Order: sequence, then structure tokens, then C-alpha cells
Amino acid sequence: MLQHLATVLWNKKAGPGYYRIGLRCPGNFSAAVPGQFVMLRLVRRLDPVLRRPFSIHNLVMHGGQANGIELLYQVVGKATTLLSQLKTGDRVDILGPLGRGFQLPSGAKKVYLAAGGVGVAPLVFMVSYFRRRPVDLSQWHIFLGAKSREDLLSLDVFSTLNIPLHITTDDGSAGEHCLVTHPLETTVEQSPPDLICACGPPAMLGCVADIAERHGIACQVSIEAVMACGMGACLGCAVARRGEPQTYLHVCMDGPVFDSRQLKW
Amino acid sequence: MSKKPDLQTTIGGLALQNPVMTASGTFGYGKEFESLVDLNRLGAVIVKGLSLEPARGNPPPRIVETACGMINAIGLENVGIEAFIAQKLVFLQKLNIPVIANIYGRLEEEYVQLARRLDPLEAVAGIELNISCPNVKAGGMAFGVDPAAAFNVTQAVREQTSKPLIVKLSPNVTDISEIAVAVAEAGADCISLINTISAMVIDIETRRPRLANITGGLSGPAIKPIALRMVWQAAQAVQIPVIGIGGILTAEDALEFLIAGATAVQVGTANFIHPRSTIDIIDGLEAFLEAHNIATVSDIIGTLEI
Ligand SMILES: Cc1cc2nc3c(=O)[nH]c(=O)nc-3n(C[C@H](O)[C@H](O)[C@H](O)COP(=O)(O)OP(=O)(O)OC[C@H]3O[C@@H](n4cnc5c(N)ncnc54)[C@H](O)[C@@H]3O)c2cc1C
Ligand SMILES: Cc1cc2nc3c(=O)[nH]c(=O)nc-3n(C[C@H](O)[C@H](O)[C@H](O)COP(=O)(O)O)c2cc1C
Ligand code: FES
Repeated sequence: MLQHLATVLWNKKAGPGYYRIGLRCPGNFSAAVPGQFVMLRLVRRLDPVLRRPFSIHNLVMHGGQANGIELLYQVVGKATTLLSQLKTGDRVDILGPLGRGFQLPSGAKKVYLAAGGVGVAPLVFMVSYFRRRPVDLSQWHIFLGAKSREDLLSLDVFSTLNIPLHITTDDGSAGEHCLVTHPLETTVEQSPPDLICACGPPAMLGCVADIAERHGIACQVSIEAVMACGMGACLGCAVARRGEPQTYLHVCMDGPVFDSRQLKW
Repeated sequence: MSKKPDLQTTIGGLALQNPVMTASGTFGYGKEFESLVDLNRLGAVIVKGLSLEPARGNPPPRIVETACGMINAIGLENVGIEAFIAQKLVFLQKLNIPVIANIYGRLEEEYVQLARRLDPLEAVAGIELNISCPNVKAGGMAFGVDPAAAFNVTQAVREQTSKPLIVKLSPNVTDISEIAVAVAEAGADCISLINTISAMVIDIETRRPRLANITGGLSGPAIKPIALRMVWQAAQAVQIPVIGIGGILTAEDALEFLIAGATAVQVGTANFIHPRSTIDIIDGLEAFLEAHNIATVSDIIGTLEI
């Protein structure tokens, strides 16, 4: 893990309140794995004072080398509003790559990815990462859920993949009119996968974990917590561990990707 | 050509190559920062608060950001003294800088046992007594807000150890001088202040506190003016060295504390914002002294003009 002064390559709208920011980093992100994150700081600002965590959405490739990263973010408050105002050439301070990412066990052929809203961010990196490696994605499925048609992100990336794509929206403006966990469960019943990987709002992840558990399927989820340091120093990012009352895991070190059975839902 | 200024300072018999230390609970056990900070350049490392038994800490959420600050209610989660000695100290003792163990207990007897356990360890250069944590139910701050209790726990620990003993004070008191005098009389070699300020945030939509613990401790740039005032008051009240803590982000911040009378400083929340803060502060202190033709850092300590 290293601290980098990164340069904004682009910062483009990806939907209503969503942006993709490309960052050129002097350090090397080639070793980063899907599910890992960075802690981002807006330079020379004391308010917001803390860094903000963002999943790596993709690597920025240049001549076969990863010379930067891309983040996909939703504007929800102070830091993300300021972030959305950055222009090409501006600088941000990033710390990373941090945390434990998704782990594909050898022999896991059939993998279902489930994303809710901006939770699609790390799953795009997951797909592009394994596409660059000798991994057969032909039995993978992708489940994308969002509030509405405009909130469906990264459809372009997934639609070129030749992987079955299941789309749902809360208002029925695109895909099925239901929660993303609905087609997930139906497909799991018809054809149980070796692994489910999910990222999205807590309620969705709880539901995915429940589906996985009921069908006896391994499940990895990327979760969020308020973080101050992102590197195991503040102990602020605690989440309840399953089975042992009042014991905690730390999202920045033990996660953000966890085996869903480690967590108390 | 002028010589490089001398940054060395001494806190209660402990010589430091420079006055910049890491504050307890904001630098893990040192190793977390290994790839980001040249640890051997620090004045000293103060580790996360240790208790006799491992402690699990408070339920989440444990942190909330505020204007130019943060409130934490970690609840002193730590590996416990034995795991610290067996696992964490091995790395720390390879460094060429003093390692200071920060301890807390719920009862006076726990502080005593912790000090007794640490006293024979060569790898521990000093002990910092946390009598000021706002986030644990019993003990902690209870000792830090009552001069008699602060005196007693300091004296009891003093009897257990000949190591430099720092007592860390709480800002959550009406008269900081009174507590400072009490722990100095009880045999503390130095005092450090401030710990975090008791604080809270409410979510107006849910009408619930933003921290599971309801209240927590405020730290960061927001508390610096309060910390500075208290350090100045404490430095006037006691003869022993005072270590300034609270919202220090830059060399300029550290200089304010030194001028107010602090012999050294600790950097806390800044480690989260900019992990290399301590190093930048050390370089900045040196540059300031050089630019002002001041030969040693001790020449600036307590030089407030009134
Ligand atoms: C490991 C990890 C990876 C993440 N990856 C991404 C990502 O790829 N893209 C993305 O858009 N976001 C991601 N997040 C969430 C992101 O960190 C927050 O949205 C961001 O910190 C908000 O900052 P802000 O200053 O804009 O909002 P603030 O002003 O801090 O908060 C405004 C409101 O936003 C909500 N909020 C703030 N922080 C969080 C949080 N951590 N989780 C959920 N809600 C929050 C709260 O309701 C709050 O009241 C990730 C979080 C974690 C822990
Ligand atoms: C997340 C966090 C954890 C802390 N843990 C401890 C601790 O274990 N023991 C202690 O004496 N002080 C602890 N503190 C207090 C700091 O050491 C310091 O006194 C305080 O944060 C003020 O300094 P700052 O504004 O530079 O952070 C903690 C502070 C923070 C923010
Ligand atoms: S965010 Fe600081 S320990 Fe996880």
C-alpha cells in the first residue's frame, strides 16, 4: 500500500448523480485485486477532514501497464460533491490499494455477480480482471439492480461480454420490475453456482447472503463502514462477527470483501 | 553556513531525537504505517491503549465526522498486554526510537498490574497512563476528572515503575491546573494533554445519535485552540514537562504548542488524514528554526510573550 498524488485524467457523468473519475497514479496498481479500495483525499482541504473509501472500479491501462485507476461514485454528500467538481489535471491524494478483495477459489467455474446501484463499481473490475487472465467466464451470470433505468451503471461493459445479464429496476423502467435478488434466487434454484459475489446496499446483501445460505452456496460480499484510516490503525470500521456476541471484524483489514458467513446479518 | 538546528528534547528523563510523537490509538502498533513512514525518524511511538485482557471495543458505528474533526467511540479495543508483548513489541523493538506503552484500566489495581508487567521490559522506554478516555463505561476518565483519584492512581503506578511515567489528562474538567498539579505531586515525570473532548452528533432524520455509544471523543483540527489553551494553563501550573496534543496537523500547529510551553507534541488524527504528517512536521520544525536562526528547539519552548 502506498500514498500517491494522483492526477485526474477524466471526471465524467455516468448517470444522474454518478461519475467516473480516471486517476493517473505514479505508483503501480497492477497488483490490485477486485474488491480492494483506496482512501481518497481532496488536497489541501480540512473540511471534509477525513479521507473517503472508494472501490477500484477499473485499472487505467497504458501500453500493457496499469498506470492508474478508475472510480465510479455516487454524489451523496460533502466529499463526493467536491469530487464531482474536479477537472482534468487536478490532483487528489490516494492511499491504496487497501483491504482484501474477492477470492476466486480454484475450480469455481460458475460464478454469479450481483450488484445493487453503485455497488456495481468493484464488479466491473472483477470482470475485467478475470478477462485478462486464463479464467473461463462462460458460465458466469451478472445480476444488475437499480432504482430506475438511468441508475443502471456500466451496462455497456457487461453487454459486450457474452455473459447472461439479468436486469431489474425498482420502478420497472428497465428489465424486470423487482429486486435484483429475485432473478438471482430463481437462477440459483435452476442452476446452483459455485460462488456468488455481491456488492450493494446492506439490505440487498443481507438478502443475497440469505439466498446463498439457504442453498448452501459460497458467497462473498463487499460491505461498507465509516472509516477514518483505511489501514487498521483507528479500529473505527468494526462490524459484528457472526457466532461470537460482541466481537468485531474490521472492514478495512478483514474486508471489505467477506465470506457472508463471517458476518451477523 | 549555519549548522542544522538541534531538535533533541527530553521528557521526564527520556531523550527524544525530536519532539514529535504519535498519539495513542491513531498509529496502531506502528507496523501499520511501516510502508508509509520512516518510523526511525519519529521522536517516539506511543501505541494503542493496552488493558490487562484483550478488549473488544464498542458496537458500530464507532466514528462520525464533524466540521474539521471526528468523534470516535472505539471503546479501547486492543489486543491486551500479553499479546502486545508477545506479538507487537517484537516489531517495535527493532526500531531505533523509544516505544511508549499507553495503558488504561477500570480499577486502580489494573493500572498497577499493567505497570508492573511493563516495568522490566527493556523494549518499553516509557509508560503513558490514560486516565482520560471518554469512551469506556467505568474507569478511564473517572480517574482523570477528580484530582484525588488522579493523584492516587498516579502514585500507585509510580510505586511500580522507575520508567518515565507520563500521565495523560482529560480536557473534560473545569480546572486543568488542579489535575496537573495533583499528578505531578503524585510522582508523574510528565503530563500529556489533551485526550479527546466528550461530544455527540444526532441524525435529524432518525433522531438517533450517530454513534452507537451515543457520545464519543472529538479530535482533529477542531479541538486545537482548546488543547492549546489547556496546555498553556497546565505548563504554568507544573514544573514537569508537558506534552501537547490536539489537532496538530502541521509544523506551525506544533510550534504553537511548543511556544505555549510544551516540551514535545503528539500527533493523532492527522495520521489518518496524511499518514506522513509526523515526518512533515519534523522537517517543518527544522526549517522554521533554521529560518529564524534558532539553534535548538528548547530555545523556543515556553517563549510565549504576554
Ligand atoms: C470499502 C468501501 C468502498 C466504497 N466504494 C464506493 C464506490 O465505489 N462508489 C461510491 O459511490 N461509494 C463507495 N463507498 C461509499 C463512499 O465511501 C461514501 O459514499 C462516501 O464516503 C460519502 O462521502 P461524502 O462526504 O460525499 O458523504 P458524507 O457527507 O460523508 O455523507 C452524506 C451521507 O452519505 C451517506 N454515507 C456517507 N458515508 C457512507 C458510507 N460509507 N456508506 C454508506 N453511506 C454513506 C450517509 O447517509 C451520509 O449521511 C464505499 C465505501 C466503502 C467503505
Ligand atoms: C480513533 C482514536 C483512538 C484513540 N485511542 C486512544 C487510546 O487508546 N488511548 C489514548 O490515550 N488516547 C486515544 N486517543 C486520543 C488521542 O491519542 C489524542 O489524545 C486525541 O485524539 C487528540 O489529538 P488529535 O486531535 O491530534 O487526534 C484516540 C483518538 C482517536 C481519534
Ligand atoms: S478504517 Fe481505521 S481501522 Fe479500519
